[in-house]
Amino acid sequence: MFYWSLIIISLGIYSAYIFGKSRITSHSRQLEIKTASLPTYYAQYIMVWCLLPALIVYFGWIIFEDQIIQNLVLANFDFDLNPALNASLLIAEIKNVALSDSFAEGKATEILNAAEHYASIKYVSSISFYLSILIVMILGVMFASRKLQPSFRAQQSIENYVKYFLFFCSSVAVLTTVGIVFSLLFESLRFFSDVSVFEFLFGTKWYPYIPIREGQSGSQGSFGAVPIFAGTFLIMIVAMCVATPIGLFTAIYLAEYASPRVRRIIKPLLEILAGVPTIVYGFFAFVTVAPFVKTFGQSIGIDASPTSALAAGLVMGIMIIPFISSLSDDVINSVPQSLREGSLGIGANKAETIKRVILPAALPGIVGAFLLGVSRAIGETMIVVVAAGTAPNLTANPFENVTTVTVQIVIALIGDQEFDDPRTLSAFALGLVLFVITLILNIFALRIVKKYRERYE
Amino acid sequence: MNNVKVSTKNVNVHYGTKQALHRVTLDINEKEVTALIGPSGCGKSTFLRCINRMNDLIDICKVDGSITVDNEEIISDEVDVVSLRSKIGMVFQKPNPFPKSIFDNVAYGPTIHGIVETKTDLEEIVHLSLKRSGLFKEVKDRLHEPGTSLSGGQQQRLCIARAIAVNPDIILMDEPCSALDPIATATIEELIDELKNKYTIVIVTHSMQQAARVSQRTGFFHLGELVETGETQKIFTNPENEKTQGYITGRFG
Repeated sequence: MFYWSLIIISLGIYSAYIFGKSRITSHSRQLEIKTASLPTYYAQYIMVWCLLPALIVYFGWIIFEDQIIQNLVLANFDFDLNPALNASLLIAEIKNVALSDSFAEGKATEILNAAEHYASIKYVSSISFYLSILIVMILGVMFASRKLQPSFRAQQSIENYVKYFLFFCSSVAVLTTVGIVFSLLFESLRFFSDVSVFEFLFGTKWYPYIPIREGQSGSQGSFGAVPIFAGTFLIMIVAMCVATPIGLFTAIYLAEYASPRVRRIIKPLLEILAGVPTIVYGFFAFVTVAPFVKTFGQSIGIDASPTSALAAGLVMGIMIIPFISSLSDDVINSVPQSLREGSLGIGANKAETIKRVILPAALPGIVGAFLLGVSRAIGETMIVVVAAGTAPNLTANPFENVTTVTVQIVIALIGDQEFDDPRTLSAFALGLVLFVITLILNIFALRIVKKYRERYE
Repeated sequence: MNNVKVSTKNVNVHYGTKQALHRVTLDINEKEVTALIGPSGCGKSTFLRCINRMNDLIDICKVDGSITVDNEEIISDEVDVVSLRSKIGMVFQKPNPFPKSIFDNVAYGPTIHGIVETKTDLEEIVHLSLKRSGLFKEVKDRLHEPGTSLSGGQQQRLCIARAIAVNPDIILMDEPCSALDPIATATIEELIDELKNKYTIVIVTHSMQQAARVSQRTGFFHLGELVETGETQKIFTNPENEKTQGYITGRFG
């Protein structure tokens, strides 16, 4: 169905294009009037009017066809008389029988009849599908060709259509975001009907297992997310302690000290660092950094677990360095040269100029970079899954196992429990919290960056 | 006749392979205003920026020849550029106050050079510098507002106050009025006239009227060469060189 309709539509719009072009050319020649736009625009205009109805019919058909056919087939069954019948099971059975004779053996005559019915409707439907695409294309062209007059400003119309198309594209992302927010919100609401918001936000015990039978001992579920938030926070702190100074100093070096040659080499290398998949950082954290952290912990007399907040945080910090350094580098570069000259002209040396003039001027932008880094750190999953463990410990000791919001979401969703289990649903509540936090951070960051931009323009 | 403060001999400047200044030899007298005039791209700003080694900031810029300030050679790797620049203030074409308060803008130089020890000394220097630049009356009630909140002319006088706060001998001005309106320009010109009693001033300007009004000596640059130099009055009334004559009468430039 897909390929045939693709061919029909392509041929249709191609002939519409040819038709439009030849029609307007001959028209203008007959009337001896110059066309208001180039002939191609008229052809495109016709093409749009041919394509658009076809697409509407195509997608409308795909969306509604199945449901309509099902209703038609099931109309023969009386569900009131036979309450044991399940509509969705029944239609699946009918479809199977209609598709292949091997399913037909030993089925009730009712089902066989229905399958035949189904097949015939399906056949009629596919014929009328192609027909209606053809018809709407022709109707579209006929409707549009009324406008094929030399005085018609086809170019302006085409530009309008292009504008609508671009608007449509941009709204896809926005609508998706809205959809994500709503799905998060509704699933979270389902979760909060089982678990109180208060317990979720302030409880200190995360033990997301619901007893299988009444009175089962020692397995009362508990959904206090504080240890998870604390773990997220701990890892984020460690990561930012690594990323902020190193990233910032890298940026200062690149912007103020590095010769153009060095800069040309280091900048792309840093950008490669930003492109490494986070799971690869996870390997690195687990295989290299975590054992090192354990040995280091032992050498100073702290019993470190094989996977720790410190290991994950350190590697996450490395991951965030390019974000901070690249953004800060841009910000420092956009501090006007005149300020540097003003400071140096008074006899300040380079370090004083950077410390007392350039960094204060660039500070808002650097704070913005920092906040974007924080929201990366909070949202990061893979490194933590691999290197920080999964135990929801409420601790401030970075040598211990901790877990983060993102990790708990992964754990909640990969289990084999049912979808309306509170444990599964807890993923959405956690996701909602994560979403809100990163949203707030991003808004703050963007606002600060914007404020900074205005100052020099 | 005043003492020579800055003396240049055969100064050549190259930007990469392009030569921007050709064998410029010029003496600048103490406590006088020396104006450098000439059409755009003639090298007068480049020359100005040689005096405080500001051209060091441009990687491809190479300076050779000899420049002495108080009879000390400054075109040499051994020269302490930082202390040289603390002796030579600079005011730029576009007012460039730091994004700090008015007070901190002026206090910047004295603080980094450790000129003052106590807070009262610092305040004194700041107030004095603002008074000398004629800005004190206008800003004395809002010293802690950002320097960028001032008008263009006020900003430029703030930059002058910032430059004189470190007590330099020489002030270099690179078209200080080109971004200002006529009234602010007049204020700055009056200020320059006062400042020359205490400082040696070198001013690059596009406006010949300005050069005539504020300077005692004038140098005319053309295509990287110092064509003529002499007393301002003489340059503007009776120049020796044909090109100078042509430029000041507006035949080219």
